[in-house]
Amino acid sequence: MTRSLTLLSAVVVASVASAQAKVGQRHPDFTLANIADGKPVSLSDYRGKKVLLIQFASW
Amino acid sequence: MPVWHDTTKQLVADGKLVLLGVTQEQHPERCRLFAQWRGFNWPILHDPINVLESSAVPTVVALDEFGIVRSTRPNPKTFATNFLAKTFQDDPAVRATPVRYGPTHPPAFDKLIAAANGRAAGDALTLWGGDKRLNDAIAAYKSAVKADPKDAPAWFRLGVCLRRRSELATREPDDFHAAVAAWGTALDLNPNQYIWRRRIQQYGPRLDKPYPFYDWVTDAEAAIRERGETPVPLPVRPDGAEIAAPLRTFPTDATAAKNPDPAGKITRDKVAAVAEVVAVPARVKPGQSVRVHVTFRLKAGGKSHWNNEADPLRVWVDPPAGGAVSARLIPADKPATATSTEVRTVGFEVKVPADATGTVRVPAFALYHVCDEVGGTCRFVRLDLTVELPVRR
Repeated sequence: MTRSLTLLSAVVVASVASAQAKVGQRHPDFTLANIADGKPVSLSDYRGKKVLLIQFASW
Repeated sequence: MPVWHDTTKQLVADGKLVLLGVTQEQHPERCRLFAQWRGFNWPILHDPINVLESSAVPTVVALDEFGIVRSTRPNPKTFATNFLAKTFQDDPAVRATPVRYGPTHPPAFDKLIAAANGRAAGDALTLWGGDKRLNDAIAAYKSAVKADPKDAPAWFRLGVCLRRRSELATREPDDFHAAVAAWGTALDLNPNQYIWRRRIQQYGPRLDKPYPFYDWVTDAEAAIRERGETPVPLPVRPDGAEIAAPLRTFPTDATAAKNPDPAGKITRDKVAAVAEVVAVPARVKPGQSVRVHVTFRLKAGGKSHWNNEADPLRVWVDPPAGGAVSARLIPADKPATATSTEVRTVGFEVKVPADATGTVRVPAFALYHVCDEVGGTCRFVRLDLTVELPVRR
């Protein structure tokens, strides 16, 4: 019950945020720490590969 | 995210697709534990200050080999055909706006500080400066909001840093309260920012919670141990507000608890412990509720310790006139050992009167057993708590 509520809420709000990335535009680069080892990873490290960029939270 | 993990597992293994996660939360270890539990084996990056400027999660965006967005809402059932199987062409005329989110790496701390761009310096110091540069990050964000009090992201990020420092040995007494106030200012400036709103709700009253946030942690740890693995350790364990279930009506205290010191005769503690009281949100609307966090610490440099052989530390709360409290008498957890020196926390919720104005004051005190030193005098003492709730109209 709890998790289904979470997922429902998540789906509802996802449509709000997805307006930021626009189809046909190049995604801005960014560099953040990998949670596994703290090392920097950039989106541009994956140029040449198809990427699913997933923003989420564990709550 | 499990659906994408499951759907794409083979594609990722075959090198046809990269899954790149970004987690929007305060504590990276919690996401590491979540990833371990769910078996996520793809890179997940930590964005504690929301440099990606997302207003909500989850979001999934499909990018081609050139970093161009091809879908903002891919469908797990059709994306193999609609995205993976397609051949895309680069278009050099297509530029990213902005060019990038957040600082470059390696960070140019001194250059950013010298440039007097408080937010940019704060971002770099927060993301790449570690705990050693946290005070500098806080100073940078404070300069940013001083220069522009309407810089909502800087307010949010200041709050993230203050909350982070509140969990360290280098904490300042007011850090958590200041963090909640900074998040509140950010949200006032941009009420549509769900990431920021969630950060307040994480510590806020149950009436304002969409879900429990971190109630999954113990299940995850048990499942991981059952697999014969060691769960990712959590330096800051979620408890209280962070795992409480949401409510739709304010809880009423059905117990017949009686004030354990109605005449205030118990000796006040002036030497052993101090209490920090933080209300979330920082300002409450009339008729609404707040979560009150009370943290008890033995005074630094002192030789006192908790005596656990008798009653646990308890907090007594009287409801404000015309308002309500979730419980009157609230015990803190205590360890099984006879003595200890840990930080103790107690949480309760207060509903302020519908006609409240100014500041609502909630009478409260704590009772506990402390000993002055090992083998020394033990005392049963009282500490009066200042619970003041500023009301916003």
